[in-house]
Amino acid sequence: MDIDLTAIRGVLKENRSRLLARANVVATGIGYKITKGEKTSTPSIVCSVVKKLPASSLSARDIVPATVNNIPTDVVETGPIRALQSHTGKYRPAPGGVSIGHRDITAGTLGCLVKKSGQIVILSNNHVLANSNDASPSDPILQPGPYDGGKYPDDHIANLQEFASISFDEQPSQCSLTRSLASLFNGIARIFGSEDRLKAVRIRAEENTVDAAIARPLNDQDVRADILELGTIQGLAHGELGRAIKKSGRTTGLTTGEIQQVDVTVDVQYGAGRIARFTDQLLAGAMSQGGDSGSAVLDDRNNLVGLLFAGSDNSTIMNRIENVFSALGLSL
Amino acid sequence: MNRICLVILVLCFLSSQLLGEERTVSPTIQEVKAKHEDSLMAMPGVVSVGIGKDLDGQLVIIVGLDRPRPTTVEQLPKVLDDYPVRVEIIGPVKPR
Repeated sequence: MDIDLTAIRGVLKENRSRLLARANVVATGIGYKITKGEKTSTPSIVCSVVKKLPASSLSARDIVPATVNNIPTDVVETGPIRALQSHTGKYRPAPGGVSIGHRDITAGTLGCLVKKSGQIVILSNNHVLANSNDASPSDPILQPGPYDGGKYPDDHIANLQEFASISFDEQPSQCSLTRSLASLFNGIARIFGSEDRLKAVRIRAEENTVDAAIARPLNDQDVRADILELGTIQGLAHGELGRAIKKSGRTTGLTTGEIQQVDVTVDVQYGAGRIARFTDQLLAGAMSQGGDSGSAVLDDRNNLVGLLFAGSDNSTIMNRIENVFSALGLSL
Repeated sequence: MNRICLVILVLCFLSSQLLGEERTVSPTIQEVKAKHEDSLMAMPGVVSVGIGKDLDGQLVIIVGLDRPRPTTVEQLPKVLDDYPVRVEIIGPVKPR
């Protein structure tokens, strides 16, 4: 094809705007002409159209000529061409991988659809749908999330149904009540001549396995089962060391990685001195940013293995999906 | 009488062998990690403890740090019950 390419390029350049002015034509380029489904060896000017229509239903000026300066043309149906799908826009029905959030948060990711007692529910993180325990059942959930312009009631897509409570390990300095009580009792002890003293200590919070919550869509027609750029979930799988994984999230879109660590115990800083310890987590490399929380993590066969919820500069942390499903009583 | 003594001796020998074998079964990496986890997590700058593989595919215990911590690294054991301990700086972990 290189023999004629320069000449065809010149012809295309001269005629491009006239071709693109025709109704339906969305792109022009150079490619081998396809005749009856078979690629031929004839180079052609390819006009991509939203929909291929019979010449009889088009006005004369919208018909792509059979040749341009003796170079054959080819008309190919591509449908409308869009920019790579945005994850922060409003979607109805909303797939997995797009922005979502409780009305008091910024934004996270709609993970995927799962079932609770036979009903379709949206799965994401507690800190996305339930504002890190600070929410009540039936609080409105917005798609997109507030940071992406989601407003109540226009973008109200679901109501919070249930969340697995996160157990936080408060810093000792924050509990002034305990310290006051301790000093009060110590004062009494001193009066009665006792040598024993009370001391305020922090009690280690219970260990968590999941940061998960579910929301019930207002209408089942407002959500859809696939995940943007990933397709549909095929089943569940146990995340094993070295397994290739992928996710589609609000901020970084489609990214891939590998399970680098299992049985991970990790301390996660939730802000305002609140730390939560998680056990039985999966760790991958840098494959997420803020806003990707709640992303469904799939293996290379599209089996669901995890729920992304935390990370650092060099790591991404996921709950095991088995733990998420058993904590909230879910099924696919 | 002698025969009975011999049988008893043989039984004693066999049982001691069996018990001995049970004692020498090495713990799994999960058990070793679980045993040492609390003390590892309590060290300054330690944010995570997990199980991974090194380049040779050997199972290792991986300790994650919030930033370079020479003192902590010095105090960390290099091996725990025959399982190598590796250190990685992963940074502070926050919800995404």
